[in-house]
Amino acid sequence: MSSVAERLSATGTANALELRGITRLFGALAALTDVTISVRPGERRAVLGSNGAGKTTLFNCITGDFLPTSGTIRFFGEDITSFPPHERIRRGLRRTYQISLLFKGLTVVDNVYLACRGVSRGRFSLLRPRRGDAIRAAAESLVEAVHLTGVRDRLVGELAYGQQRQLEIALALAGAPRFVLFDEPAAGLSPTERSELVEILTALPRHIGYVIIEHDMDVALRVVESVTMMHNGRIFKEGAPQEIEDDPEVQDLYLGGGHG
Amino acid sequence: MSRSLAGWRIALVALAVVLFAWLVLAPWPQGFEAVFGRKKVFLNAVLNGITLGGLYFLVASGFTLIFGLMRNVNLAHGSLYLVGGYVAYETVEATGSWLLSFVAAFLVTAFLGLLLQWFIFRRMEGQDLRQTLVTIGISIVAADVMLWLWGGGFYQIAAPAALGGATQLPLISSVKSNGDTVWLTYPIVRLVIFAASVVLGVAMWLVLNRTRLGMMVRAGVDDRDMLSAIAVRVPILFMLVFAFGAGLAGVAGVVGGTFQSLAPGEDSRFLLVSLIVVIVGGMGSIPGAALGALIIGLAEQLGSVYAPTYAVALTFLIMVAVLAFRPQGLMGRA
Amino acid sequence: MTDIPVPAPAAAAAPSASGLPAWLSAVHPAWWILGFLLLFMPAMAGDFVLVQIFGWSFILGMIALSLMFLGGYGGMVSLAQMTIAALAGYMAAVFGTSSVAEISLGLPWWIAVPIALSIATLFGVVVGALAVRTAGIYTIMITLAISAAFFYFALQNYEIFNGQRGFNGIRAPVAFGVDWRAPVPFYYLTLALAAASYLFVVYVGRAPFGLALQGIRDNARRMAAIGYNVTAHRIAAYAVASFIAGVAGILLTWQNGQISPGTAGIPAVIDILVIAVVGGLGHPIGPFLGALLYALLRTFALDVFSAFGFESTRFNLLVGVAFLVVVLASPDGLVGLWRRWRDRRRPAAKPSGGHR
Ligand SMILES: Nc1ncnc2c1ncn2[C@@H]1O[C@H](COP(=O)(O)OP(=O)(O)OP(=O)(O)O)[C@@H](O)[C@H]1O
Ligand SMILES: [Mg+2]
Repeated sequence: MSSVAERLSATGTANALELRGITRLFGALAALTDVTISVRPGERRAVLGSNGAGKTTLFNCITGDFLPTSGTIRFFGEDITSFPPHERIRRGLRRTYQISLLFKGLTVVDNVYLACRGVSRGRFSLLRPRRGDAIRAAAESLVEAVHLTGVRDRLVGELAYGQQRQLEIALALAGAPRFVLFDEPAAGLSPTERSELVEILTALPRHIGYVIIEHDMDVALRVVESVTMMHNGRIFKEGAPQEIEDDPEVQDLYLGGGHG
Repeated sequence: MSRSLAGWRIALVALAVVLFAWLVLAPWPQGFEAVFGRKKVFLNAVLNGITLGGLYFLVASGFTLIFGLMRNVNLAHGSLYLVGGYVAYETVEATGSWLLSFVAAFLVTAFLGLLLQWFIFRRMEGQDLRQTLVTIGISIVAADVMLWLWGGGFYQIAAPAALGGATQLPLISSVKSNGDTVWLTYPIVRLVIFAASVVLGVAMWLVLNRTRLGMMVRAGVDDRDMLSAIAVRVPILFMLVFAFGAGLAGVAGVVGGTFQSLAPGEDSRFLLVSLIVVIVGGMGSIPGAALGALIIGLAEQLGSVYAPTYAVALTFLIMVAVLAFRPQGLMGRA
Repeated sequence: MTDIPVPAPAAAAAPSASGLPAWLSAVHPAWWILGFLLLFMPAMAGDFVLVQIFGWSFILGMIALSLMFLGGYGGMVSLAQMTIAALAGYMAAVFGTSSVAEISLGLPWWIAVPIALSIATLFGVVVGALAVRTAGIYTIMITLAISAAFFYFALQNYEIFNGQRGFNGIRAPVAFGVDWRAPVPFYYLTLALAAASYLFVVYVGRAPFGLALQGIRDNARRMAAIGYNVTAHRIAAYAVASFIAGVAGILLTWQNGQISPGTAGIPAVIDILVIAVVGGLGHPIGPFLGALLYALLRTFALDVFSAFGFESTRFNLLVGVAFLVVVLASPDGLVGLWRRWRDRRRPAAKPSGGHR
């Protein structure tokens, strides 16, 4: 009986992301307590919450940067709770980091090339890519898509902050992502760069869903259709952007706190 | 399920302890001795292993302390050991006082440690590879300078006459055919040194776990930022810890020079011992260093008695097993 | 380990320019001169210089190159490379011929050498698997411990390693009508293999495997988050490096005609690190520069020392001080020194080529 259900859930009807009872402890500190979320394929959602609410920790559990203390994670129906990160990525999950994690000793195009190669075959290849290499071409066009063509051969360590943030996003869009986690992609960006970011996000193909952590309500509410509020490691409210914005409790806790 | 697993583990450890206690305490039956050799040989190997473990602990605890607090890998630690030994030898030659030689060795090596921390490590904060390379360079230079000054010969530090003899231990060595019990005799100096290293180990543990200074050091191990929040003068704390760790290496040099000998090459040997002990016991953990030192000391001595050609391989296998199954070391935190 | 000198991306040999003429014209004239010099060296230098200076530099350079591959590309400073080389040498002696007839199996070289290389590579993989379980600075400690354990084991084991005496009478074979133990053929043999491994490392540096390795060096966590199995990649790097070290180890054994525990003693293990670091981990040429310098010093320092009335035994003091000076003054070695000098001469000529 349960096997039928399992088989059913493994087909297209499954949620893109299904977290059940995720708890993560750091020593005595519970960074996440009993978090249960489901996100439909193609759904775009914001996670809001004050500093230390556990948002990044949630991402880390989903991508396997570290394991949850308890709970299960399903990705398009498949139980990936104990998979190593690279196995999750190869299944179409992607993420960006709040603090850029880039390959500073390599050029921009090599960074993106590595990301494209990482989700395709030939990761161990000892042969340099040939002239018409498809992965190389994919990397080039991705570099262009995030407006970095001008610095494609520069070492990443030499880039300006905003450019590094753009590269951070490019790394997460390599290959054929099915679902992306964006961790505060707009933090520290100038207004122009922000609108570029919104443009990139809204231009993503419809089938790619994402969760975005964003303190800036203006950005967040323009690019999502649902919102999850977190507080002290727990889910605190879920709903449509307008509901959340109008919720008095949320306003007390979050919007009144100097944000937005 | 994990509960019953833990139960099994406890049962196994208890069994091993009982077996070991029987091997040490009870007189061995005739047939048993025929297979495993004389009990005296076994007892001596065990005691030698434990006392050797004491020496290893002295060297390795300084290494692990420095690593634990500052993340400094000091590959010149073996050189400090040898310097301590030579300084002690000269002190005993000049003054005839064995105890004074400990003070001299400690002060000299602690001072060298201060210099290292002040001129090298402080300037290369966070560059662990460079620190390591510099200390390798220092150990090459130090080895050659010591070879220059003391030559290639063997030196042994004379222990005071009072510690020279052997004493009878309440351990049965064998039972004679006429029913008389033969008790084991063992060199006093080794027992004294072992007792001293136990005292030192316990004292270090107490300081680390029961005092404000220790709290700061442990906080430093856990979280460097927190340390700068509570300890006002982090650089001074670091210098003190480095000096103390270096001084321990010097003291170990005296001990090693007394019940083994000093010669070129001993520096890399004891650096190696420190590495293996802390890899087995767990980086930065004092109890881990004690456990690792005991295991390695016992493995070396029992190995050299019962499987002479494979004594080294045994030590190595222990290290490999630990790395394979518990990479952070037996007492290390993941 | 964030402080490893990073190899500059080889001025991206533009993928569009893959035709042969373009490829050839991309080679700097200095390389042509160097190539000709090395090729015609036997016409200029005597046997001693050919084998004892150049042959030896090439061999040591290859071992140090294997360290550069792991350290410069992969961020893993392994002190096991000399040990792996020595193991290959030992295995060549065990499976091939030596004057220790009780142990040596006397297999022909074309069987013995591949077996020796396989065993060395396998050993390297095991070392790698153990070393990569922990990260960063632990690598040095673990590989140092493994090397020392190997040394003591070889010293005490008589069944395979023939204890303290080791093996002697190991010779390069006569093959394809050439006696490879004669100085000139041996020179060319070492030159060819050193050049091949150098070119291989340069080439792989821009192939997916090498790029991924550099990515792991820069940020292992992110590499996992873009789909790489970091552990597998690191271990594979050990396999590649160990193969190179193994080849060099066999050459070293042929050159010396013998191998004994001292070949893999702690001083020898440290010397390889010194060579690689002094030359520079930033570019595959560094290890060869370091090796040449080392071979010259080793060979002539004694004469120079005694000429000035110093004790000739102070060689290690010299090496140690030189090493300290390099590490303190130019952490990226001679290569880094050269790069900085070049950058100062051509300020901001090319943004990506000039590095550090
Ligand atoms: N690796 C870690 N070790 C120990 N504690 C951690 C670790 N990572 C996060 N924490 C703690 O878990 C809690 C949640 O942190 P998290 O980074 O998930 O918050 P966040 O919601 O992303 O906050 P911010 O808006 O500041 O990014 C914090 O109290 C943090 O100190
Ligand atoms: Mg966060």
